[in-house]
Amino acid sequence: MIDKMKRWLPWAALIIALAFVPKIFGIYYMNFFITFAVFAVFSVSLNLLLGYTGLLSFGHAMYFGAGGYGTALALKYIWNLPLLPALSIGILSAVLLALIVCPLVVRVGGTAFAMMHMAFAQLLYVIALKSRFITGGEDGLANFRIPPFSIPGVVSFPLEGAPANFYYFAIIVLGASLWLMWFFTKTPFGQIQVGIRDNAKRIDYLGFKVTHAKAVVYIVSAAFAGVAGSVYAMFQNVVAPDGYLGLLVSFTPIINTMLGGIASFFGPVWGTAIYALIEEIIFRYTDRVELVIGIIFVLVIMYAPLGFSGLMLKLKFKWMMFKNKRMRQAA
Amino acid sequence: MKFIIKILLIALCVFSLFFLQVFNPVAAVAQKGAKPAKPPATHPKLAEANYAFDVNAMGDMSDFDPATVQFPKGDTIKVAVVASFTGPAAIVGKIYWAAVAWAAYDINQRGGIMVDGKKKFVEVIQADHMGRLDQCKKVAERMALQEKVHVLVGTDGSHLMKVINQVADKYKIIAQNITSTSDDLMDATNFSRYAFMSCLSSSQVGSGLGYFYGQIRKKEKRFYIICQDYAFGRSIADSFKKGLKQYYPQAKIVGEDYHKLFLTDFAPYLEKIKAAKPDVIFTGDWIPDGANLVKQARQMGLKQPFAHLFLDDPNFLHEIGPQAATGNIQITQYGVEGGAFKTPEQIKYYKTWHDLWANRWKTEPYNSRLFEHGSGNLGSYRQQAYWLFSVIERAGSTDPEKIIAVWENDTYRLPTGKVLRMRACDHKVVQDLHVFEYVPAAQQKVSMNIEPYYWYKDAASTGPTWRIPAEKVLPWMDTKLERCAGKNEWGE
Amino acid sequence: MDVTASMYAAQAIHGIAFGMVLFLIAAGLNVIFGMMGILNLAHGAFFMLAAYFCYSVVAMTGSFWAALLIAPVLTALVGVFVERFFIRKVQIMGAMGELILTLGVAMLILGGVKFFWGTENLPISVPPVLEGMVHIGALDYPIYRIFMIVLALVVLAIMTLLLYKTRLGKIVRAAVSDREMVNALGINVPLVFMFVFGIGVWMAGIGGVVIAPILTVFPGLADQVGMYAFIVVVTGGLGSLKGAFIVSIIFGLLSSFGIQFFSQLAPVLIVGFMAFVLAIKPHGLFGVKE
Repeated sequence: MIDKMKRWLPWAALIIALAFVPKIFGIYYMNFFITFAVFAVFSVSLNLLLGYTGLLSFGHAMYFGAGGYGTALALKYIWNLPLLPALSIGILSAVLLALIVCPLVVRVGGTAFAMMHMAFAQLLYVIALKSRFITGGEDGLANFRIPPFSIPGVVSFPLEGAPANFYYFAIIVLGASLWLMWFFTKTPFGQIQVGIRDNAKRIDYLGFKVTHAKAVVYIVSAAFAGVAGSVYAMFQNVVAPDGYLGLLVSFTPIINTMLGGIASFFGPVWGTAIYALIEEIIFRYTDRVELVIGIIFVLVIMYAPLGFSGLMLKLKFKWMMFKNKRMRQAA
Repeated sequence: MKFIIKILLIALCVFSLFFLQVFNPVAAVAQKGAKPAKPPATHPKLAEANYAFDVNAMGDMSDFDPATVQFPKGDTIKVAVVASFTGPAAIVGKIYWAAVAWAAYDINQRGGIMVDGKKKFVEVIQADHMGRLDQCKKVAERMALQEKVHVLVGTDGSHLMKVINQVADKYKIIAQNITSTSDDLMDATNFSRYAFMSCLSSSQVGSGLGYFYGQIRKKEKRFYIICQDYAFGRSIADSFKKGLKQYYPQAKIVGEDYHKLFLTDFAPYLEKIKAAKPDVIFTGDWIPDGANLVKQARQMGLKQPFAHLFLDDPNFLHEIGPQAATGNIQITQYGVEGGAFKTPEQIKYYKTWHDLWANRWKTEPYNSRLFEHGSGNLGSYRQQAYWLFSVIERAGSTDPEKIIAVWENDTYRLPTGKVLRMRACDHKVVQDLHVFEYVPAAQQKVSMNIEPYYWYKDAASTGPTWRIPAEKVLPWMDTKLERCAGKNEWGE
Repeated sequence: MDVTASMYAAQAIHGIAFGMVLFLIAAGLNVIFGMMGILNLAHGAFFMLAAYFCYSVVAMTGSFWAALLIAPVLTALVGVFVERFFIRKVQIMGAMGELILTLGVAMLILGGVKFFWGTENLPISVPPVLEGMVHIGALDYPIYRIFMIVLALVVLAIMTLLLYKTRLGKIVRAAVSDREMVNALGINVPLVFMFVFGIGVWMAGIGGVVIAPILTVFPGLADQVGMYAFIVVVTGGLGSLKGAFIVSIIFGLLSSFGIQFFSQLAPVLIVGFMAFVLAIKPHGLFGVKE
């Protein structure tokens, strides 16, 4: 009983802390936190693929973008569309896209997998760029309506012009996504994924269809990238090719995952936090942003290749060794 | 024998000089153009101004250096320059910075501005949007919420200006647009009371050039349009077509193309242009796209002049050489017809900047030719910044409502003598525009009428200049915008 | 030749010229990947660095030819330095490590370029000898662009000779297929790889210098061209010089004729072609399965 309490206590504390962010930090940090949460979910969704199945994608932005554009287009063209359907349309467009791309990509791995994604993401990018009459071209779509959050007959909160309400909405959606993904990796099915990554043949012999299993993870990963994109579109009230489908958007979650640590579920979350903080801080003090970020990348990869989580593990290990030694000496 | 040859040679030289003087093609064009260029007098609504810039009241600028300038902190009037300070268009941010910092420094040297019962200094902050939408939103919000600026000044890119206007509207601060020309920034969907567009707009570029080619020049007939494929490029091209239709129905558009931003190889487009045989190529491109376009056009033997907006970077003009740019036509909100300097004040205003550039500014990029004269687009940004501070001063407050009340319908006389008028209903500026032709150094004295009688020795620059009267180039007004319903084009 | 025909001819040559520059850059990228298995995300940045070196050398010596010799070599030296002190150390970590590292190097180069040269658009002129046009019938074509084609072919020839006709080439190819064995034969494999990386960067450098006179040199140059090179390599097949060559030319032609006939769709054509090829052959046109 107490053990259970102990396990849940930090989470409860976190939830309470999150609930008070708007009161304590004000709008700016609230927005900062939403951006962080969006990219955390996006990065974890990539890591579902990368960390759990070993598939590196250079085009994960296409699902992020599909989510964003799906929601934005729905809100722009469907009159009076409520909030949750808009969100679902975003997720569905990502899933639909994944269903189309999936048969083409699951048969390959390694570099070819990465490159094919880059190709498809780029294709989507230029299509968004060139179909001006639907997607607004280079300028994207902006100023679409953000519907209120409402359960008919029960409650209705306006999200437009009420940053705190939007904050709660975003945090709940993104938090739930994180939890679902975590849950997914703990299911027996999720465990099979790790098996595939480590030894695909063995899983095959055990009677599981590797390709099918891969495809399922792939689609789940795309769906959560879609959630992130959809929330981000509503948050920014703008979607544009560069911010949603560009190559940099595909690289962002990879970088976050590397910074945080590829091997753990929460690694990408740490990575996103670290990257966001670094950016936030250096922007204030220098305009040599590229130099600083470049140096950080090089240093991380040379001296902490397992990222932040890896570094933590290493420190923990060293600390234990140190304690052991002391204990032995004392004895 | 040798002696005779020498004499003959000298005679030949003299004769050829004489010949050139008489039959100089550019001068001939200039004269021909100059004949009907007796436009009607300044429109009465722009003849008087609520406030006129006084060069003699300027503070001591002798210590100003845009690279090192420091602004007082604390309880100040805060202005953020939101622009690209990194990313592909990083140089643009530096240009805005130099312009706004200059005006702010001047105000501070005069002792600041009396606002809300207290004399306050101006503080200018750099806000880097890196040319990215998400970053633009983030940095504009930081300026609004954390730095608590009173004014956001922007920016390179209409899509980014839209974001800045949104942020300004959301947090109820002023946004001043000093350079993005898209008309839809101020249309029924996007208009915000807090946003002011103090620069010229696309519709004016179109009607201005249409008026120039149809009513003043009356020579070129075939036009080719090549623009960047995004909102600004599209809107400027549409405006140009509309302008030609309005003022020059005989003109023919022989082709149009929209290329992607930051294109590398223009050759295939240029080949198409070559085959279409236009008299003039119209482009809304800015540098580096515009520079690559003109450079590659000349390399490929295309001789037609370009009509453009932003291809006035002196580094670029030097690079392509005087010949390549001669004959190009630019429409500008800065120009002065005839000689640029008519009063001692104007010379003083010019010299203050130019002498500092020559003697004091040693840091890249402020020591480069780009900043030499402080005129052109750079000059216009500087004047718009002065206008903003004048409005704040007369509002006597940083309260946005009071600023809006003063700025709407305000008239302001620039050092160049021109008057700007802020149309109240949609916050666009009514003003005379100018069109000028690029000529080599020897002919620049028609515009540069003080020592050394040329702007740039080794590059084409401003020559003959024509005024386009404001009533011919009234900015487009969205009649769907409630505030403008039932008003005439002067917003009345 | 009538006017239309000469226009098509010119478009074809434009396509080839553009394709050749793409090839120069892509080939470097490809050599590095094909030989060492490193996906060099900093390749575009090296290309840009060469253009900046070119600007400085021209500014100092006034000679484009000096720049053509010196700038790529300087760039290659920077590349060798990066390989020796950074890439070699992270190679054990596999593709992800190299990816982030080269991305970091790309950002460092970008930051460095801004630090040393500023953010302005720097102009470089076409050397006087190559100014002007050649006239073939009704066709006028700029000499400089023909020079670009010729130079790219020369570099291709040098590369082919070097890799397939010399002892060095044999060692390199042997080291690629069986690293331990070659090492055991007493050949310094890391040195060979350093050399290969240098050569790859040198080719990007040539590309940077050659393209500088038709563009303005500015900090966005890396993204402007690097992306295309990447697409070429991926479509042609990682590690295949032949693939890079053919795809470069296809891209050049797609771009110029795309603009000629359906100007709006030109960029979609190129990327669409890539997506189509990869959908059918995931390893690229001439790629080998890993």
